[in-house]
Amino acid sequence: MKGLAGRIIGVTVVLIGVIALIFVMLRIIPGDPASVLLNEHVSQANIDRLTRTMGLDRSLPEQFFDYLAGVLHGDFGRSYYIQQPVSKLIMEALPFTIKLTLLSIAFAWTFGIVSGVVSAMYNEHILDYLFRGAALLGISVPVFMVALLLQYIFYFRLSLFPLTYDGSVASLILPAVALGWNSSGSVARLMRSELMEELDAPYMDTAKAKGLPYRKAVLIHALRNAALPVISLMALQLSGMLSGAVITESIFSIPGLGRLALTALQTRDMPLLQGTVLFTAFLIALGNICADLINTLLNPRLRTG
Amino acid sequence: MRGKIINIILLAATVCLTACGASSAEVKTGENAAQTDDAQADGGELRGALNADITTMDVHKTSNDYIVPMNIYDTLFTIRKKDDGSTEIVNSLAESYDISEDGKTYHFTLRDGVVFSDGTPLTAQDVKFTFERILTIPDSAQTDYAIPIEGAQDLLDGKADSLKGITVEDDHNFSITLTEPYAGFLASLATPSTSIYSEKIVTEAGDDFGVLPEKTLGTGPYIVTEWTRGSGLKFEYNPRYWGEEPSVKKVELSIMEPQAMNMAFQKGDLDILDCLLIDSAIVSSTYKTDAYKDHIVSVDRMGTNFFMMNENVEPLNNVQVRKAIQMAIDRESILQSIYDGDGQLEDGIYPTGCLVYCKENQGWLKYDPEGAKKLLADAGYGDGFDMEICLDTSNTDAVQNTVQVIAQNLNDVGIRANIRSLDHASYLDLRGSGEMSSYLALWLLDFNDPDNIIYTFFGNKDNTKIRSNNYADDSVIGRVAAAKTIVDETERYKEYSALEKKLVQDDAVWVPMFSLKHLFVISDRVAEFTPHWAGWSDYYFAETKLK
Repeated sequence: MKGLAGRIIGVTVVLIGVIALIFVMLRIIPGDPASVLLNEHVSQANIDRLTRTMGLDRSLPEQFFDYLAGVLHGDFGRSYYIQQPVSKLIMEALPFTIKLTLLSIAFAWTFGIVSGVVSAMYNEHILDYLFRGAALLGISVPVFMVALLLQYIFYFRLSLFPLTYDGSVASLILPAVALGWNSSGSVARLMRSELMEELDAPYMDTAKAKGLPYRKAVLIHALRNAALPVISLMALQLSGMLSGAVITESIFSIPGLGRLALTALQTRDMPLLQGTVLFTAFLIALGNICADLINTLLNPRLRTG
Repeated sequence: MRGKIINIILLAATVCLTACGASSAEVKTGENAAQTDDAQADGGELRGALNADITTMDVHKTSNDYIVPMNIYDTLFTIRKKDDGSTEIVNSLAESYDISEDGKTYHFTLRDGVVFSDGTPLTAQDVKFTFERILTIPDSAQTDYAIPIEGAQDLLDGKADSLKGITVEDDHNFSITLTEPYAGFLASLATPSTSIYSEKIVTEAGDDFGVLPEKTLGTGPYIVTEWTRGSGLKFEYNPRYWGEEPSVKKVELSIMEPQAMNMAFQKGDLDILDCLLIDSAIVSSTYKTDAYKDHIVSVDRMGTNFFMMNENVEPLNNVQVRKAIQMAIDRESILQSIYDGDGQLEDGIYPTGCLVYCKENQGWLKYDPEGAKKLLADAGYGDGFDMEICLDTSNTDAVQNTVQVIAQNLNDVGIRANIRSLDHASYLDLRGSGEMSSYLALWLLDFNDPDNIIYTFFGNKDNTKIRSNNYADDSVIGRVAAAKTIVDETERYKEYSALEKKLVQDDAVWVPMFSLKHLFVISDRVAEFTPHWAGWSDYYFAETKLK
């Protein structure tokens, strides 16, 4: 548990670093939030007035320490563009992203593990080619293409699913598949290669020798040993997906975190962008810790007393 | 240990399977839900699409998102398009008005019996409150509309605590005094920017006004019943609305990507498709066909597309060079090839349909690459020069293609034009700094008055810098600012016409390009669709009739 405390301190330092980095970067890239807000209806007087209102006329260190102090008190500031507290916007967006992530991870893991195992067991068999092909497609075809294809087939041609998100779980299935396919491809490939290594291990011969049916031997002995790296990968995927899927959320009009971050970037909405990036960094750090914990739990060799 | 791992794997598998099981059960519900939607759609529901979410429903805080304000609030006046294509200002919340001899004081009487959608009656005090709010909220985006009123600047600067220029006489009568006469004032009272709010509702809602639908109430024909950020909006007819009951009782606006809009429309799940929001190739191949010819609604977009040249940039500071560029661009081919001929050439500043549209300033600009080369040679640039054209990548493909053609046209006369692509925020930043060397843009009129366009670009020194034209003739800038105050119509026309000629023909401040049509496709369920008079993407639901 000592290790855990160390990790948490480490994460805090990383998060403060993330704030500093995003803060400086946002102020280096061109684009002024006041001009974006006013858009075509811009005039010098209005820009000056809004710049004052947003507090952008103050010095950079002053702005930074104000923001940091706010964050430590749980105040992430107010969005310039949507004019709402950042924490409220993130909390509103989070449930949509969580729903999408859960569904898509359910798809990705089931499909990934099953196709990985089948591919390994029926190596160079037609089933292997089929599942490997699907995995390869998942990794190589961009998400927006998959999404469009799914919309065309399952909405336009077959009328099975709604086109965009309408609040129902059914409308989340296409986005979940579009988002999950890529991850399932990675899981399947890793599962397959890890499992094939184990299938060649001497203990499989022992299992065969003592009369254990092949399938049983694979599922009980080999899968267990092959699962470790796959589980670490899956834990990382989970935190990655939770931080928001910008493209999937945009195509399917899902009001989640990724979409929120994209809007913030386009409008140079600094408080909102800082908030979403910080939150994402936090989720990923948390995901890494969880992955480590799970690994330690499952792999006695990693437990050092 | 072994048992543990197997348990975990089994558990994971169970979770996945349950999730899948649950999903397939949901699919059926989804289908049922879709059927219910269809049933509702028959009961006066209109289904439209937006390409991006709105930021707020409070029109005082946005100058971009007017679709909600136009349908849930009212303004004192409104603009109607007459059959001949010209526009007129008609009364809305104002029942009558008169103007004093000096053109500075307007007296208004409010329509009787108007209530907000929660039953709060509309009073003259609400009007005063509205304009004071425009000037006092820190993130106001509409101050320009209140500035002409006497005492507005003091209120904006915090030197006063009420708006001196508005006098409330009783619940229905009030007068507005301007600092100086301003002929475009009534027109500015007919834009969504000056929607009238209730003092009681806005004060009680506090920060929730414009954010929560149940607290954002107006006197208009609809109320917002649901706003899911990033997903869409739902509206219902406001039974307390003072005007005629509209044919459309419910509206659903969904936020969609262009491909999705097109699919949804063809599938019959959308009633109005905005052709500006989808790929122009799809518009010409799918919708400009015989199959859809009775479903296309076209309106002139009241706005000028122009190519701006920065007079602070060498050699664009040379008027001969600017004139050569005017002649070098083949506007007719661009209009035909990129916009399929849906528009008309503009040779000035005020576009077709504008209150002041000067026919005598049209038709002078001809495509003449040889003439352009000669002008360049005379100006000492016979070998050409390098120039930069800035492009906002958030623009439609059509705009990006137009910029490509312009660059090609310029290359043809020896000007080595390079396109510099910038994202929207960086683009605005560079333009605002006054250092953008040239760009193609469009100005859509907010209200039907020439002042709205000419003042924006050439009305004062700050404006010429912020629009990166840096027009140098101070006497002309002074005349543009002064033209605002001319009330006599003939004189006004003469001065605006003279200014247009001076700026575009003599000084070649920009290359006037064209005005375009805005096409919409309507579904079989729509009997009549009237786009906004100025060709905006936003429209009034109440002016649409369903079959």
